[in-house]
Amino acid sequence: MTEHDSDHIAHIHDDLHSHLPDEPALRAKALESLLVEKGMIDSAAVDAWVDAYSEDIGPRNGGRIVARSWTNPDFKARLLENASEAIKELELEQGHLMARENTEDTHHLIVCTLCSCYPMGLLGMAPTWYKMAAYRSRAVRDPRGVLEEFGVEVSESTRVRVWDSTAELRYLVLPQRPAGTDGWDEERLASLVTRNSMIGTHRDLSDRVASAN
Amino acid sequence: MDGIHDLGGRHGFGKIDVNEPEIQFHAPYEARVRSIVNTITQAPDWSIDWFRHCRELINPTDYLTRPYFDQWVQAYSAMLINSGWATVEELASGKATTAVDGLPAPMSAEKARSHVLKERCFDAPVDTQPTFSTADEVRTVTSVSNGHTRLPMYARGKSGKVIDHHGAHVFPDAMALNEKKHIHLYTVEFSLAALWPEAEKTADTVTLDLWESYLEPA
Repeated sequence: MTEHDSDHIAHIHDDLHSHLPDEPALRAKALESLLVEKGMIDSAAVDAWVDAYSEDIGPRNGGRIVARSWTNPDFKARLLENASEAIKELELEQGHLMARENTEDTHHLIVCTLCSCYPMGLLGMAPTWYKMAAYRSRAVRDPRGVLEEFGVEVSESTRVRVWDSTAELRYLVLPQRPAGTDGWDEERLASLVTRNSMIGTHRDLSDRVASAN
Repeated sequence: MDGIHDLGGRHGFGKIDVNEPEIQFHAPYEARVRSIVNTITQAPDWSIDWFRHCRELINPTDYLTRPYFDQWVQAYSAMLINSGWATVEELASGKATTAVDGLPAPMSAEKARSHVLKERCFDAPVDTQPTFSTADEVRTVTSVSNGHTRLPMYARGKSGKVIDHHGAHVFPDAMALNEKKHIHLYTVEFSLAALWPEAEKTADTVTLDLWESYLEPA
């Protein structure tokens, strides 16, 4: 039985602080070896996930969603209405997904101030900066300052909306389609979409069009 | 709890590493840890909320300085010790000196593969009607659980507007204590000026996803 006691956990953390090896990779290796010995993991199952992370999981999944929303207005409408259902058309899954569309008037920015909530199934691992104190502390207090640090200019007349992921809802920003991409197919459009543009720390994708040509 | 993890609005953490290389994992151990957590045999009284709480309780210096996935190792280590499934000595050495009785076979590679990219859902139907509707003005409570909670300090005692209702979702404050209940969940939007003394009159906003028990009528 687990004793769900905060003080007890804090004491255990103090013990771990004093007894575990300092090097993160050694701590991880010891944990994995121990769990295998105890029969709590199968290394082949761990390998299967490691392979999946290198092959199937990453921001290109989010890019496919954005590209489809640019080329298919009906899909975009379904996405904005019920994103978790809509992305199944692309054989993707992410529970409780909320799509937020950038426009001339609005810029969306995603953060998780309390931990690291992120639409992992669509964007892969969150960047380290997304999980560290500098971004988490400032995104909700000085979002324009944060955007400036990423080199993003948002005019005074554009409203910035910050989404702090405090529950199990997962947010995906739909960046604006850049000019000069008329007639492009979905795959080519998807290649323009950056991970940061789907978090909201990149706004103008037109700089990607020239390099894609 | 008013822990070190509750970072929204705090000052002094310096610049963001905007030039970080855009790769999934920055060291091989990170991918191992992420994958271990996806496949580890979970105790029946563990939950995502209990895991988050165990990470929040990491010694504050470690929380701010040790790498992210290293903190996952530490949180799981604490959970294993707390549940009597491992000792600190075993976790330090990687060698088992005690056995855990009655465990099922660990997740197979085949099952692991079938779980990749599957959605997880946290909502469920409830008998109660939602108290609030879209466009209602609400005020967040000032007093929350001393344990796990998802109402950050910066958003307590603040006035905002309900912009969405999502049905009832697992309530983390209770789930972290192994009590599963579903409570109506809303998205509430706050003007930046309502949250921060220095914010000038602006149309910029911050929204949070908040359970009904965090909210009162304004």
